[in-house]
Formats: sequence, structure tokens, C-alpha cells
Amino acid sequence: MKYTINQITSGEDEAILNYIEMNEEVARIVAFFKSDSKKIIGWKDKIQIVIRPEEILYIESVDGRTFAYTEQDVYKVNFTLAQLEELLKDISFYRCSKSMIMNIDRVANLKSLSSNRIDAVMQNGEHIMISRTYATEFRRILRGEH
Amino acid sequence: MKDRKEKITVWELFFSRDIGIEIKACLYYCCILAYYFIFRIIRGSLDASIIHMIEMICATYIIGYLQFYVMANFDEEDEFSWKTVVYSLLCSFIYMVVAVFCKWYDGMFFVNAGFFAFMEFCYLSYFFIYRMKKRIDTRILNHELREFQERSKK
Repeated sequence: MKYTINQITSGEDEAILNYIEMNEEVARIVAFFKSDSKKIIGWKDKIQIVIRPEEILYIESVDGRTFAYTEQDVYKVNFTLAQLEELLKDISFYRCSKSMIMNIDRVANLKSLSSNRIDAVMQNGEHIMISRTYATEFRRILRGEH
Repeated sequence: MKDRKEKITVWELFFSRDIGIEIKACLYYCCILAYYFIFRIIRGSLDASIIHMIEMICATYIIGYLQFYVMANFDEEDEFSWKTVVYSLLCSFIYMVVAVFCKWYDGMFFVNAGFFAFMEFCYLSYFFIYRMKKRIDTRILNHELREFQERSKK
């Protein structure tokens, strides 16, 4: 892919992507543009925090409330899991159960369990169980077939 | 509507459990048949008793249910532990008792003892086969995970 970079003296920073066909490379660049503009607002101790998606290990819904887990902290988020799933769909987030979305980029390793389940160990050492129902789709995503 | 949904869920739960037991029953039935056929051939006969075969499939079903409900759902796909050895020995012993009682092997002591050892071998083999399968699958999963993470970095 050809690219041109120009430094300007006035106006705002802008990136324009011209493409003929939406192929994998173009899609990745688009996802990058979109991810950079995505920020999630979280709450901790009544303080508002801006969270970048790449900092999030997983997001969990408990008793109707949604929490985003990073390596250091847990933040309450004012989105439903479905809304976050839609928002983060172009990045490496996967709905691994009814109440959880995990960041695949923050998975340290995986372990195959009985009954086609998968144990995902996150970078902070926590274990997330992916049930058989979600494991099949998860494998397809890893292989890039999604 | 909610009650109907709950009833369906309970039914589905029962059904999926039953399928698992049936698959196991078929697996061990094949093993028992193999041993039985070899015994019959060595004895110079190419015939098999239908009654014996019916007893065998019933035994595998009953022991399958025993494994689930009495032996804490002892499953060949689980991690190998002392429970594996104890429960597999118990199941093999039960098979041997049924074989003696139903005279599958004409009451021959060494054949029945061999049958006990054979069934134990089958149980342990399935454990190790599933363990190997899971290890290979784990390696493949982690390889695919690394590739996915490399792709998403680019």
C-alpha cells in the first residue's frame, strides 16, 4: 500500500484513507482508526476515568451493572454488555459468555479442557472459562475465519 | 411462559446428560465385544450369544449411570488423579462380576481375571488418549492465539 505523509502548518491533524476494495489490510487500518477514537468512561469512587480499550482485560456484567477490569483496577461502566460488544467489535474483544467480554490481546495463554471448554488465563493471572457454546466461535476468531 | 421455558431447560439438561452416558456405553460395549469375540474365536466358535450381547449393553448403560450418579460423575475426560484409578478399578470390577454372574466366559477364572485387566486397560487408555488430545489442542490453541495477537498488533 502506497502512503503519503505531509506535515502542515495549519489546520487539524487528519488521516484520509483512499481504498478501492475493503480487504484485510484496509480493514485493519480502519479498525485502528476507529479504536484510537474509542475511549470508555469508567467510574471508581465517584471519580470519572478515561479507559483505553487496550488497557481492559475483560468486562463483566453483574446484577445489571457492568464493570471493566484492567490490571490495576475495576471500573464501573455505564454501558450494557451488548452496547460494549457493538462498540468494541472491531478490536480484539470477544463475548466469551452471557455476562463477559474478554480482550483477546490480553490473554496470556489458553488451556483446553474437557467437553470442548477453554480456560483462558489473562495477563493478570485470572482465569476465564469459555464454555463449549462460545468456544467454537472463539476458535474460528483465533484462526481468522470470522 | 416462564414455567414452560424452565421445563424445556430441565429436559435439555437431562437429554444432554443422557447422550453423554450413551456415548460412553457404546464405547465400552465395543471394548467388551472385542474381548468376547476373541474369547469365542479362541474357543473355536464363530457364534455369539444374543442374550450375552444384550446383557453387555445393559451393563454398560447401568455402569454409565453409576459413574454419573454414584461415582461423582467420574469422567474419562477429567484430569488423572487417584479418583481415576479407584473409580476405574471399581467399574472394571463391576464388569467382571457381571461377566461371572452372566457366564459370558463360561466361568473360566483366568479369562474373567483377564477381562477385569482388559477393562481397566480400556479405562486408563481412554484417560490417556483424552489427555493427549487436550495437550495437543492446548498447543494448537496457544499457537493460534500468538498468531492472532501478532495480526492484531500490525
